[in-house]
Amino acid sequence: MSQAELTSPRIAAEERNALRQSSMISIERVSKYFDTRRDKRHLALSEITLPVTRGEFVSILGPSGCGKSTLLYIVGGFVQPSSGQVLVNDRPVEGPGPDRGPVFQEFALFPWKTVLGNVTYGLDQRGVPKAEAVARARALLAMVSLSGYENFYPKELSGGMKQRVAIARTLAYKPNILLMDEPFGALDAQTRTRLQNDLLKIWDEDRKTVLFVTHSVEEAVFLSDRVVMMSRSPGRIQDIIDIDLPRPRDRASLLLDRRYQDYVVNIERMMDAQTGDHS
Amino acid sequence: MNTRSSTLAYGLLGALPIVGLLALWQAIHLSGIAPPALLPSPAAVFLRFFQQLGDASFLQNVGVTLYRLFVGFFVAAVVGIAAGVVATGSKLFASFLLPLVRVLAPVPKIALYPAFTLTLGYDDASKIALVIADALFPILLATYQGTSAVEPKLAWSARAAGVSPLRTLFTVVLPAALPSVMTGCRIGLVISCIVVFLAEMITSTNGLGHLLMRAARNFQTVDMFVPLIAISILGLLLNSAFNALRRHLLRGFPEEK
Amino acid sequence: MVLRRFLPALPPLLAFAGILAIWELLSLYFGLDGLPPPSVALRQVPVILTDPQSLFDIVDSLRRMAIGIVLALVFAIPVGLWMGRSRFAAAFFNPLLSVIYPVPKAALMPIIMLWLGVGDASKILVIFLGVTLPLIYHSYQGSRAVEEKLLWSAAAMGMQPPARLARIVLPAALPEILVGCRTALVLGLITMVTSEMIARQTGIGNLVFQSLEMGIYDTVYAMIVIIGALGFILDVLFERLRGWLVGWAEPAQSIIVGST
Repeated sequence: MSQAELTSPRIAAEERNALRQSSMISIERVSKYFDTRRDKRHLALSEITLPVTRGEFVSILGPSGCGKSTLLYIVGGFVQPSSGQVLVNDRPVEGPGPDRGPVFQEFALFPWKTVLGNVTYGLDQRGVPKAEAVARARALLAMVSLSGYENFYPKELSGGMKQRVAIARTLAYKPNILLMDEPFGALDAQTRTRLQNDLLKIWDEDRKTVLFVTHSVEEAVFLSDRVVMMSRSPGRIQDIIDIDLPRPRDRASLLLDRRYQDYVVNIERMMDAQTGDHS
Repeated sequence: MNTRSSTLAYGLLGALPIVGLLALWQAIHLSGIAPPALLPSPAAVFLRFFQQLGDASFLQNVGVTLYRLFVGFFVAAVVGIAAGVVATGSKLFASFLLPLVRVLAPVPKIALYPAFTLTLGYDDASKIALVIADALFPILLATYQGTSAVEPKLAWSARAAGVSPLRTLFTVVLPAALPSVMTGCRIGLVISCIVVFLAEMITSTNGLGHLLMRAARNFQTVDMFVPLIAISILGLLLNSAFNALRRHLLRGFPEEK
Repeated sequence: MVLRRFLPALPPLLAFAGILAIWELLSLYFGLDGLPPPSVALRQVPVILTDPQSLFDIVDSLRRMAIGIVLALVFAIPVGLWMGRSRFAAAFFNPLLSVIYPVPKAALMPIIMLWLGVGDASKILVIFLGVTLPLIYHSYQGSRAVEEKLLWSAAAMGMQPPARLARIVLPAALPEILVGCRTALVLGLITMVTSEMIARQTGIGNLVFQSLEMGIYDTVYAMIVIIGALGFILDVLFERLRGWLVGWAEPAQSIIVGST
């Protein structure tokens, strides 16, 4: 108990309230244990505190096994924290809700539904009239450059196209927050770059709040306003770096930009130093 | 071209033992080792089978068997699928259901048939009850195993869209488990087919199984073979019809072995 | 420590108690002659098990079942293993097996009795036919899944095909074969009981219907409990054996269904 207090940044009550007022998402001292075999517990997340403001694009960067996806699932309401809480719009998260739309690395498309059926599913279930749901789905599919693929099944699409469908499916119910769990992790390098560009274009239209989990430093720097670096066993926040680069961002000019290069190199060094500690 | 001709060759190879057995049967008959009273010729059996297909009373017996078979199967399918899905959705329900299944699944259900005849009578109800008891477990277990193996992120995607847990269970988890559910149902259907026939053989006054026993009592060997062939062909037809339905329903799913 | 050892047995015991309770309630509610309460029926279980004639019938049934299953093992496992390693064998046998699959094996009893009489031979043959198919199927699946490279290294060591089947494929396919054996065990019991109910000569299945026709209903139910318990106990014992034989392999699904 006392050790946790020593190692985690204590936030005074007033300070915390001030944070909450400007925060879209407020992660407050969230810890997560997993029960493993032989009555042992594995501490996956330790005392994570992170406020995220409205319209902010925040990446969570860390080595595999640092609990970054678990943290995202807790914000999504899919996984319950062992202690601490998450506030979204000042209300504690008690379960999943249409204000927070997830996009998973595995796409998680419904294999028995067509592309169109996948995108309209959430709207259909909530009683949106069929014609309206279809119209909205078609518009979103056009936005992710998938017009003409409405009647395809997911298995007939490439990985990149599947992830576009998944993004359209999530955008269909208009969440204020996007929770992206290594969404481009399973794609080849070229597709990955294209989808990063497209994601920024879509995001620039209405600037949703985004929590983006990744283990790629370039991806985090290219996309984000802030990069949260996490360390492993137990998962905790190592550092938070503001990415002060102009928007809208253009990949070609950014790659030549000295500041971009510095961010990437510095963050990589910090991560190396951290893994060096443990191995 | 080459693969096509080799597929054809393997197809012919597969027909060989079936044709061979029929030929052996005919040869034994012709050789006179077995008297026709014990082993009629296959030609006589199949001729009789096709004759019977035009016979009203035979068809009526087929109808009786089909009725018991389908009522039993549908009840088993509905109960089995519902229980399997709910067990995946509710830990509490699962902790009631699974030990019960553990005890009852390996019990030979046919042993319950005397109890069904005593409580439900010698007519349709006892046979339907036996079909339910036999077809229920493969369907229930396939549904439970299929639904509990569904990728949780599919359900999360639905829950995040604002869909309630119960609706998610039936609109996402169940369809996602369809490959497994359909396999369970197909096995349950063939079992239903076999069990209804056996029940009719043990005690009945009508149905295909009864026809076999009636023929056996009168030593009409040809007529013993006919119901047996009828129920086997019925099983084969239902099995392949179900496979076709399965392929259609699962057209979106990635290829599985 | 003692508690922890017996804890896994608790849920099935509770389930069994639950079944008895429901039975008791049903019997009280309906008050049928044909549905005596378990308290009455269960009293007949020790009576049956101590009666020399019934006990002889039961043991004799189990003896025939064991012979039928062992014969099926000897025949089906090599066939299944061969099918899994030879495209020729698979193409040859598969269509025949799928034609035989929906035939009710116990229903062959009256015809087989015409040929082989009412003795052991008919009863054993029916059990053999009843359990052969799942044994072939599971041996086939197990053998098909054996890593090709395992066989290459055996061939490189100069092992001949039959030896490879026995010394490489058989052990590698053992976990799957044992799943087939478990199905066969329950299925053998089902085929045995069913064929005896149809033939009405001797055995457990005959005992049930004998008492049914004489109107001794509590004995009917006691026999049902005995047959049910046999199925459950055989299954549990086999699971123990399987765990001991292939503890190294992935645990198979905890519950299987024996039927067909």
